[in-house]
Amino acid sequence: MTTSVRNKLISVFVVVWLAVFYYESTCYYYLEPLLKRELPRLKFLFPPAGWIMFYNIGDNFSYAEVYGVKDGNPQLIDPHQILETRAIGYDNINRNALVTVLSPGMSDAFCPFLQRKFPYFEKFMVTYVEYPYLTEQPMERTQTVVYTCGGAN
Amino acid sequence: MTVGLHVIPSFFHLDDNYLSTAFKTFNTDFFPPWFIDLVQKSPDALVYFFVAAFYITWFCFLIGLFSQISCILMTACCYYFYALNCFHIGTLSWDILLVTLFLMCLTPYHGDYFSVDALRRGDVEAWRKPRPFFLQRLLQLQIASTFFFTGLYKITGDGNWMTGNPVYFLMNYPALGVTKHFLLKEWMAGHPQFCYVTGLLIVATELSMPFLLFIPNTRYAAIVLGFCWHVLLIMTLDVPAIFLFLFPAQLLLFIHPQKITDWIEARRSLNAKSPRAKIIYDGDCGFCRSSIRLLQVMDLWGKLEYITGPKGMAEMKLYDTDDKTYGGFFAFRRLVWLLPMLYPMIPVVYFPGSSILGPLVYRWVAHNRYLFPVFHTCTDGTCHR
Repeated sequence: MTTSVRNKLISVFVVVWLAVFYYESTCYYYLEPLLKRELPRLKFLFPPAGWIMFYNIGDNFSYAEVYGVKDGNPQLIDPHQILETRAIGYDNINRNALVTVLSPGMSDAFCPFLQRKFPYFEKFMVTYVEYPYLTEQPMERTQTVVYTCGGAN
Repeated sequence: MTVGLHVIPSFFHLDDNYLSTAFKTFNTDFFPPWFIDLVQKSPDALVYFFVAAFYITWFCFLIGLFSQISCILMTACCYYFYALNCFHIGTLSWDILLVTLFLMCLTPYHGDYFSVDALRRGDVEAWRKPRPFFLQRLLQLQIASTFFFTGLYKITGDGNWMTGNPVYFLMNYPALGVTKHFLLKEWMAGHPQFCYVTGLLIVATELSMPFLLFIPNTRYAAIVLGFCWHVLLIMTLDVPAIFLFLFPAQLLLFIHPQKITDWIEARRSLNAKSPRAKIIYDGDCGFCRSSIRLLQVMDLWGKLEYITGPKGMAEMKLYDTDDKTYGGFFAFRRLVWLLPMLYPMIPVVYFPGSSILGPLVYRWVAHNRYLFPVFHTCTDGTCHR
């Protein structure tokens, strides 16, 4: 390949890449609201919602707690026993990775996982815990059962 | 290294993460449904195959062996595991890492130096080779834009860093939250005004980073600021370590390649004028000449002087600048401190028992050196006795 052809190819690639990069970076939060319609997205490459690191943090905090039930007695399961994979340099539990199990439809995948991992328990309760006012009422805490696994649901 | 640190821990619990018994979540915004469906059909044996493939390609990429092809294959493995289950590895920083890897797949330039590929090619001046600058420029734009958009998202759309007090909320998170227990946390949790100003400073820094990085006068200060930024981030929040390993390294891309080349040349010419360690080797031995060529490739700073010794000398000699003399295995052990590319050998040559075993292995190699097939230098019939 001659230098001239190579340089032209590089130029085309750079222009296309930059166009896609900035389109994808602004699509979800700027272009779609502006044009008021869903725009086509490029899969496989860029973060789907843009660069949204800690962009919105409210005065509340919520997470998932999982209880195993044996002989009618609920017992909190350490989240680090549920998500045993340790990351290097940070803690996935503190990153609230477990909150995913509260999403609709997750019980189908999560319940068999719990039953395999903790055969000691007869059933499980997956609960949603929320501190609704962290700074105003730091002690206020609500907890609701989102779904149960095993036993008589 | 960053890719390995992020992915390999997930292999320690394959049954939890990737096998048919795993709890899986899928990033349907990143992957098209047909791709996720295809990957989910993987039998466990295929998962094991990809784990082995990842280890091999990751290690090859790490040491720079077949750099481009190993980068492509390793990236393909990353995509596979990401589509198989994004629960553990799927984070925003992981998406950023994949974009970076994708760009690195396009050229073999990352194997130009400090790699096994550089040794295979035997080019003693590979570090001086001019290369098209576009990938570096694209990665520069990517990191600068990432900083900018991160700041922009905080103050526009759903971002609440102007209207709310996110830093204050973070400082009041319970123990299970994302905030680490650093020294000032408790104090900041009681000072909302300080937190608000800190938040504004964070946004202002993120928004101004592209300008600071692209303006030559502020570039180096911005690189230092970026380093401190990511150290502070990992010390205060439970965020993926990719941020610490990837972003500061990318900030170094703002140093122009010509400046690095000039710096290397300045150090080489300085070393050339100073007393240097001397290597005396058997110039009649093809294997020895080939080995010396490898040393020359690795000798980025020109710290060594290579002198042909008498024919049939029993072992290589190294005369150090402090007048100490080393021979054979101990000369090699001294070399690993002089050449950065040999640093990974330090644990090997200082492993307990190496002082006994090392000279024995060296003597065996030295005794049979005329029998080893060599490349590059075996053109004049001197390879074999």
